[in-house]
Amino acid sequence: MIWHIVKKQLLVFWRNPQQLLLILGLPIILIAILGASLGGLMEGEPISIDAKVAFIEHGDEQTQVDMFLDEIKNNKLPQEAVNAISSSAKEMMPISILKKDILGSDDLKNIIDLEIVKPSKKDDVLKNKEYAAVIEVPENFTYKTLKSIYLENGSKGELQVYKNEGNQLGSNIVTGILQQYQEQLSLTTFAGKQGIASEALQVDPDAIIGETVAINQKKPVSAKNYYAVGMAVMNVLFIASTIGSIAFLEKRTHVFNRVLLADVSRWIYFIGIFISGTIIGFLHLSLVFGVAWLVFGVTWPNLFGCLVVTLGLAIAVGGLSVLLTAICFRLNSEMITNFFGSIVVTLCAFLGGSFFPIGDLSKAIQVAGNFTPNGAAMTAYLSIMRGDNISAVMDQIAFLFIFAAVLITVAAISFPKRGQII
Amino acid sequence: MLELVNLSKKFKHLYAVKNLNMFIEKGEIVGLLGPNGAGKSTAITMLSSLVEPTTGDVRFKNKSILKSPGPIRRVIGMVPQEIALYNDLSAEENLQFFGRIYRLKGNDLKQKIDEILELIGLADRRKDIVKKFSGGMKRRLNIGVALLHNPELIIMDEPTVGIDPQSRNYILETVKRLNEEKQMTVIYTSHYMEEVEFLCDRIYIMDQGNLIASGTKEEIKRILSAEKTIIVKADRLNNTFIDSLKQNPTINRVTVENKTVTIIVPKEINIFQTVLKLAEEAKLELNSVDIKTPTLEDVFLHLTGRALRD
Repeated sequence: MIWHIVKKQLLVFWRNPQQLLLILGLPIILIAILGASLGGLMEGEPISIDAKVAFIEHGDEQTQVDMFLDEIKNNKLPQEAVNAISSSAKEMMPISILKKDILGSDDLKNIIDLEIVKPSKKDDVLKNKEYAAVIEVPENFTYKTLKSIYLENGSKGELQVYKNEGNQLGSNIVTGILQQYQEQLSLTTFAGKQGIASEALQVDPDAIIGETVAINQKKPVSAKNYYAVGMAVMNVLFIASTIGSIAFLEKRTHVFNRVLLADVSRWIYFIGIFISGTIIGFLHLSLVFGVAWLVFGVTWPNLFGCLVVTLGLAIAVGGLSVLLTAICFRLNSEMITNFFGSIVVTLCAFLGGSFFPIGDLSKAIQVAGNFTPNGAAMTAYLSIMRGDNISAVMDQIAFLFIFAAVLITVAAISFPKRGQII
Repeated sequence: MLELVNLSKKFKHLYAVKNLNMFIEKGEIVGLLGPNGAGKSTAITMLSSLVEPTTGDVRFKNKSILKSPGPIRRVIGMVPQEIALYNDLSAEENLQFFGRIYRLKGNDLKQKIDEILELIGLADRRKDIVKKFSGGMKRRLNIGVALLHNPELIIMDEPTVGIDPQSRNYILETVKRLNEEKQMTVIYTSHYMEEVEFLCDRIYIMDQGNLIASGTKEEIKRILSAEKTIIVKADRLNNTFIDSLKQNPTINRVTVENKTVTIIVPKEINIFQTVLKLAEEAKLELNSVDIKTPTLEDVFLHLTGRALRD
């Protein structure tokens, strides 16, 4: 009996080319438009970071090291200690290390374009928006640093960093590098005091470019990939409102009464609606991804993972379908499906990141987005696209199943009881 | 076969049906007559077990259907006032779907579909999508669906609304044939008097949720045996003439519809001369004055003071 209800539902969908075009054609068109127009912003290649950094140095570092060495010779330290500090301090030139070994290292060369600028040009570079950051080394920085490390005397030197707010990514990376460097200097101070060889402490370039690692994901997601997922998970929600509308039409035209008078339980009809929503949702997602594969070359490294997420989302759509149907029957109005189709889907699509990766803007929005069926599915799909396996997206899959179970329960409670439906 | 006992349905503060008592014997065609909003459809949804009454009982073959509607549902065929079909499916696909819902399958279903399509005159249009059908064809298919499972009792709620006279005639003849050939019991609601007069053995007349008369056609018309109906037609009816008719103490009731005035008077009164005189005084040129035998419409007018289609 359930199968006949499902078959009829599929036939009604199939016979409605306008609806089919909207539900299937629209996401394909949107993938093409958004993928092409926003492709530059989200190309599949790692995001190219080209942070231009100006480096202004006051004073000569070697002079400061010599000044420090002269000072310790005149100090009342034992000759052995003087010799040890002298040999170590000759190697310890913090600014040279920063310029050559860190900012100029092979790892960062592709990211940071370091330019040594004379102090007299400082105002010019600060006004120039091409620079992601300006690092200024104050007078006697090296001297103060060496004194602080070896003699525990005086305040540490501090680097001045000017960030260009217009180039947040570049300036954040520079700040991250300097923070790492600062920590290393502190460790060196500690090591010096504890008699640990400073060579044992290295600035870890991988740690420095941590942010870059986060950007260069395992397997990049291109704009077409992103929007294939975004549009599919958004448009599949319209299946629920369409099924709700069809069900309400069945009630309004007394077709539903005919089904009841054939001594078919309303729960059979209820289950038929749920299964229809699930099957049509699954077919919709499969077709959109299939066309996206054929037309845009959107592929899945883990097809099984993709199928499991699709099943989870399809079941959630089935749950939504049956809930909307129950509310329509209860209120005897189609208003809820119209509201869902026009407002709720748009809101869910926005929060879920169908239009752009909104979760990057705020943690709260990201959390809220993951509590929408499309948002959870999108997170899972993108994760699978990047090469994660199914265990990495179990939370999202579990959420989709729980979401569906809750909706089905609410729908069953609100579905009108026998003798209440006219 | 079917009995409605003190059946009432209240929606918020309004009684759609109040203390309705009815019985239907096997093989009868029973008419349920009344204007829009009389409570006919509500009564039907209750007797078919779709809606629970506020008070009262519905008994089918001496058993209440309120707690176990299964027995009546299995033998009932419902033709709702609305076209309860799938517009995007063909006539055959609609019959297939509802046939499966009625648990018919295989050859039985196929044969039944052929039989029904023949009966409703749509055999040559079986593959056509319903939305391309005329109103009359949709109405016929609407009836056909209700006949799929050979129901003992068929309920038709205004099945001829909004269709051409030819289709209407076809439907009325079909109902008559089903009753005569298959002894199918029919409950037929309408606000078309002539349909009910043509089809029904017994009639229940409802108005504003109440049953106001019941019996055979003859019994009901006998309500007006002490009165007669005069039909006056004129191109330019005026208020002077209408008012003078209404003020005449020998006239029981006057109703006006377009260019026609219906006058109900006691049988023994000769009103003919009076009408001519009043028309002359009102400077009205009459087209015709007829004395008519009472119809159910006249009975309804007599009982409620309103025409059925008001």
